[in-house]
Amino acid sequence: MSVLKIKEISKIFAGPVRAVDNFSLDVADGELVCLLGPSGSGKSTLLRMVGGFETPTSGVMTIDGEDITHVPPEKRPTGMVFQSHALWTHMNVFKNLAFGLKLRKVAPDEIKRRVDGVLDLVGLNGYGTRHVAQLSGGQQQRVALARSLVLEPKILLLDEPFASLDQHLRERLREEVRDIQQRLKITTLFVTHGQDEALSMADRIVVMRDGKTEQIDRPDIVYREPQTPFVAGFIGTMNLIEGTVSNGIFSKAGYSTPLPVSDGPAILAVRPEALDLSVVTENSQGKVHRVTDYGSHGLVDLELLDSTRIKAMVSHPDLFRAGQGVTLAPRAIAAYRGNAVIHRA
Amino acid sequence: MTIVAEGSTGTNENRGGPIGLLLVALPVFLVCWLVIWPIISAVMRTLWLTSETGEKRFSTETYQFFFSDPYSLSNLSLTLWTTCVCALLLLLVCLPIALYLRFSTSKVAAYVQGLAIFPMFVPSIILSFAFIRVLGPNGTVDLLLNAASLPKMRSPYLTPWGPVIGLVWDNIPLTVLILLAGLGSVSNQAIEAARDVGAGKLAVLWHIILPRIVNSILVAISFAVLGIFSAFTLPYILGPAAPELIGPFMQRTFRDLYDPINAITQAVITFGFCIVFGLFYVRSVAKNRAP
Ligand SMILES: Nc1ncnc2c1ncn2[C@@H]1O[C@H](COP(=O)(O)OP(=O)(O)OP(=O)(O)O)[C@@H](O)[C@H]1O
Ligand SMILES: [Mg+2]
Repeated sequence: MSVLKIKEISKIFAGPVRAVDNFSLDVADGELVCLLGPSGSGKSTLLRMVGGFETPTSGVMTIDGEDITHVPPEKRPTGMVFQSHALWTHMNVFKNLAFGLKLRKVAPDEIKRRVDGVLDLVGLNGYGTRHVAQLSGGQQQRVALARSLVLEPKILLLDEPFASLDQHLRERLREEVRDIQQRLKITTLFVTHGQDEALSMADRIVVMRDGKTEQIDRPDIVYREPQTPFVAGFIGTMNLIEGTVSNGIFSKAGYSTPLPVSDGPAILAVRPEALDLSVVTENSQGKVHRVTDYGSHGLVDLELLDSTRIKAMVSHPDLFRAGQGVTLAPRAIAAYRGNAVIHRA
Repeated sequence: MTIVAEGSTGTNENRGGPIGLLLVALPVFLVCWLVIWPIISAVMRTLWLTSETGEKRFSTETYQFFFSDPYSLSNLSLTLWTTCVCALLLLLVCLPIALYLRFSTSKVAAYVQGLAIFPMFVPSIILSFAFIRVLGPNGTVDLLLNAASLPKMRSPYLTPWGPVIGLVWDNIPLTVLILLAGLGSVSNQAIEAARDVGAGKLAVLWHIILPRIVNSILVAISFAVLGIFSAFTLPYILGPAAPELIGPFMQRTFRDLYDPINAITQAVITFGFCIVFGLFYVRSVAKNRAP
């Protein structure tokens, strides 16, 4: 089984654009790691370097200890699933899957056996003679996945494979891919900019920003204990309130709360679901702007006295009306100064 | 594929109206008058000959003459040879250029594209004289060889290779453009996916790229062949005096030998060959359109 090590990889495009900046990551055997980040953060570039489609400007990559940094893609033990348009439309499904095996001079009956096996795995039994154009978008991506899997790569790479599919199909394929990945115990690197995709599939998440790592952790930890304000704002919904601390009190526009850190600027981070509101008639800290009822819960948009917007999740949205004064009582907070956590409670 | 012959006939649906019919009528009329009728009349004139007494009779003797006359036949075979060699050379020259233009990311590609398209704007006459100045006797190449005290080369000028070189050069732009249009339909991801499953450069070319552009190659070749088969200027200036290509042969039969009937016969035979290539083109376009 296989281990991928990425060590201090950088990629500088003409411009110069530092697409990937001194990036390091170890992916353990059988692990699924999600690369998550906003558009332009270098996820695809990193993945394409692992697949061999871009040459790193500097750094080293190894698979099972073997240096692959300058091995061309056709010689790498990696399999890549592209976002779309990557099936060969002049071949039917069977030929798409068999192409790589034929190049490896596998015997025809062995090819047939392996292709049928992998078609079964992705739930496309009996689709071998179909033409690519006769498949739905979801089926095409399954074929693309099967085409990589049939070669039994050491590392599976997926670059936003479901981005062109609708929400419903995306969720289903996500689960299928996760199931297959765990059944085959294949080491996988998965690029997405959908956080729910990352949170639901990954063993670990790498949050990227401007080609650099912001945080590498298990999904629940990335969610509960984001290491930087960027991660806090990027994963899930988070209220980030910029204020100042003096004498152990954080304050911002009429709102204040104890914060046992040294004096100076600070960013207070509170999840909407960890923020309790109570309606008051005087000494309010904020004003309800809008209430949205989602049935199972409600979301209250409110403004602090200087019109900073924050959100709170409430179980009884009918208790709140636009224009009402409220006070805030956070149950869990984190505080950041610069790019570092200075307090968590 | 972007270059597609559009038929002007509408569908069976009733969406015409008088204006639509008028719009269609004009090109149909022009095609009939300027293309179809001359063809029919040419065929008629070569098959119903007028004798000295003025009466008309059916006869295939002009065709019998053409196909039994050794000179006409050697002209025809030279034309076929030139066409085949040109088509082959065009493919060998243009496919690499088109592949380079499609897949290169360097800035040089823009200049190469400019250079490849440039001959399109150069009239054949100028091209011919440039050819003579460079490759002809005492041309630039000869002078350079002489300066390097190397032996004189045998100039292709006035040999069958003269028109071949000229015609290939003349047809590069259109061929490159058609191939390039075909290559546009091959996505980068499809190629990267092929490399990912282990295909080297040659395997990618053979299994992924070529199957996708077979139609463009057919279209490009039929276009080039149609042009080359009946080319006149370049073979006339650069080619040998005998045997000669069909184009100059026709002209000479008509002008110098005052033999319009045999010239028309040659034209009808040329037309026959061209229509075969034309059908080839139509077939590949139709195949391209099918789902
Ligand atoms: N071939 C290239 N030449 C120049 N710059 C490039 C090239 N490819 C990517 N870049 C730049 O590198 C940066 C990272 O791009 P990349 O495609 O890796 O982002 P990404 O995280 O995958 O974004 P997205 O979520 O939109 O796919 C971007 O600023 C992009 O403009
Ligand atoms: Mg990307």
